[in-house]
Amino acid sequence: MPKEGDKLHQLIAAVFRDYFVYAPVKRAGRLLTQEAKTPDEVDWSGKLAENSWKEPFLPHREKLFESRRGLLETKGEQPPVACLGMNILDLKALTLFDLVFGNDVYYQNRRQKILVIGYGADWPNSYKKSKVFSHNFKEDALEHVSFDIFIAGRKSGEPVFYSGSAAGRKLLESCRIKNFENIKFAGAVAESGPDKRMLEIKGKLERSADHYLWNNLDQICLACGKCTIACPTCFCFDLEDKVNPDDPRRDRKWGSCFYNDFSLVAGGHKELDTVKKKIFFWYYHKFARIPKEYSYVGCVSCGRCTRTCPVNIDIAKNIAKILKMK
Amino acid sequence: MNNIYQPQKARVISASRESIDTVLLRFQFADKTLQKKFAYLSGQFMQIGFPGWGECPISICSSPSDSQKYFELAIRDVGQLTHKINELKSGDEAWVRGPFGNGFDTDLYAGKELILIGGGCGFVPLRPIIMDALAGRIKTKSLKIFYGCFNEDTLLFKKQYPEWNRGAELGIILEKPTANWRGEKGLITALIQKRRISPAATVVMVGPPVMYRFAIKELEAKKIKPQNIWLSLERRMYCGVGICQHCAIGPYYVCKDGPVFNYAQLKNISHAI
Repeated sequence: MPKEGDKLHQLIAAVFRDYFVYAPVKRAGRLLTQEAKTPDEVDWSGKLAENSWKEPFLPHREKLFESRRGLLETKGEQPPVACLGMNILDLKALTLFDLVFGNDVYYQNRRQKILVIGYGADWPNSYKKSKVFSHNFKEDALEHVSFDIFIAGRKSGEPVFYSGSAAGRKLLESCRIKNFENIKFAGAVAESGPDKRMLEIKGKLERSADHYLWNNLDQICLACGKCTIACPTCFCFDLEDKVNPDDPRRDRKWGSCFYNDFSLVAGGHKELDTVKKKIFFWYYHKFARIPKEYSYVGCVSCGRCTRTCPVNIDIAKNIAKILKMK
Repeated sequence: MNNIYQPQKARVISASRESIDTVLLRFQFADKTLQKKFAYLSGQFMQIGFPGWGECPISICSSPSDSQKYFELAIRDVGQLTHKINELKSGDEAWVRGPFGNGFDTDLYAGKELILIGGGCGFVPLRPIIMDALAGRIKTKSLKIFYGCFNEDTLLFKKQYPEWNRGAELGIILEKPTANWRGEKGLITALIQKRRISPAATVVMVGPPVMYRFAIKELEAKKIKPQNIWLSLERRMYCGVGICQHCAIGPYYVCKDGPVFNYAQLKNISHAI
């Protein structure tokens, strides 16, 4: 989409010059969020990549401690990373991570070095029209998500730029982009209060333990956990010690509430011992526990879990069933 | 920024075999200033482990009044890590984080008939309450201790029973005792049935989920209100601070909002107990 000589082109060139870039890239017919080597590789269709943006923010495995002598905190040096082309729904997921990992030194050290560039194709019409079921579209959406720069693509002509931080402003100015709007982050939760649709789902889901939906899903779901890997808001983790003599360490790695050892305790007792309990736990976390804890959505409606599910479990349809409860 | 996952080195200053499968360890932080600043509540827990072995959550079983001098953990040998911990000797080191959790609100026990019900190694976190009540640091109207265990070999804190018997009503029931056992035989529920418990009593219970389900029925039969029943839960956990999700039950985290819960809080949450 960026053309030689236009503003976006200059910005992207600067990002590729100074940063290690993650972006939606189409390779072998699959659109994935991954390392982009050149600006030409970046996909500007505005479509959501199959995978989320979790990896640069919360790697699937990271070394917390070196454990040769005691437990020594890992102080990793990472190159400056730019996440280029994050959809508004992915920015919502990132905003949740910023809340959840607010006191996590590893997350924060990494986060501070990541430049976040959001992108919306035909913004905001595409967002208004997208199949968002977990929250309401709001005109001031950008005021309530974390980003450094947001590129609002338009059907024709040059895109509109927004800055969401001092770093974003600086970069835009250095690329001689003068017409941009400063967005001041007004907190993850709007002043008018938590999202009404989110609260409605929360209220009903909390009372839904006996709903037939969970029995149906118990019969269908394979508990494979693919949804938890694809999901941009799934952040469960395990701590795991490795005794490899070359590199003894304590790691953090992604966990999944669908895996069998998730709730297993010494002695053999397992709290989540049926598929029904596991899938209810997963929905409860997204639609009840996160909204209660952070007054913020635990599901951003990206639909990645539905796309990746091998047995076609559709989260939007399931929530529609919950909403039909009295 | 403080690293919430950073454990501290602690040294075993005494180790004694409490029962056939449980060791009682008294620890001091290697860093003396940490020990002097250390404070905890009854019912709170520590994450204890070793490099290469991971961590496990264990309730503190010494009185909070001794927190600046040491802390004690009674640990049952049930897995790889707890087996290694059971082999610790005086002078050995372990790595600990904590304290975590809410602990018991012992102010609520003042002036009340306090009933402590423990099952198996779940009895461990009740010990600091007993010690503080008998020393007058918790001013209960009366104290009854009901303890259900498998057999004589698995009973914990035996040396303290004479003292507990003097200051409280101590009832012990064994499921499969030897022929020499002269006390009660059966499950903890039988003991609850037999003993006199006032409907206004405050009950604190720690044990396995199956004990909760049956014991609560007995307590309800004695007209004890759910809001006067407190219990402590066990779950798998990693972070200890309500992030990793392993210990979540309904809207709560056992590591942060618990491990102590009021029964009225848990009653309507499926699979809580």
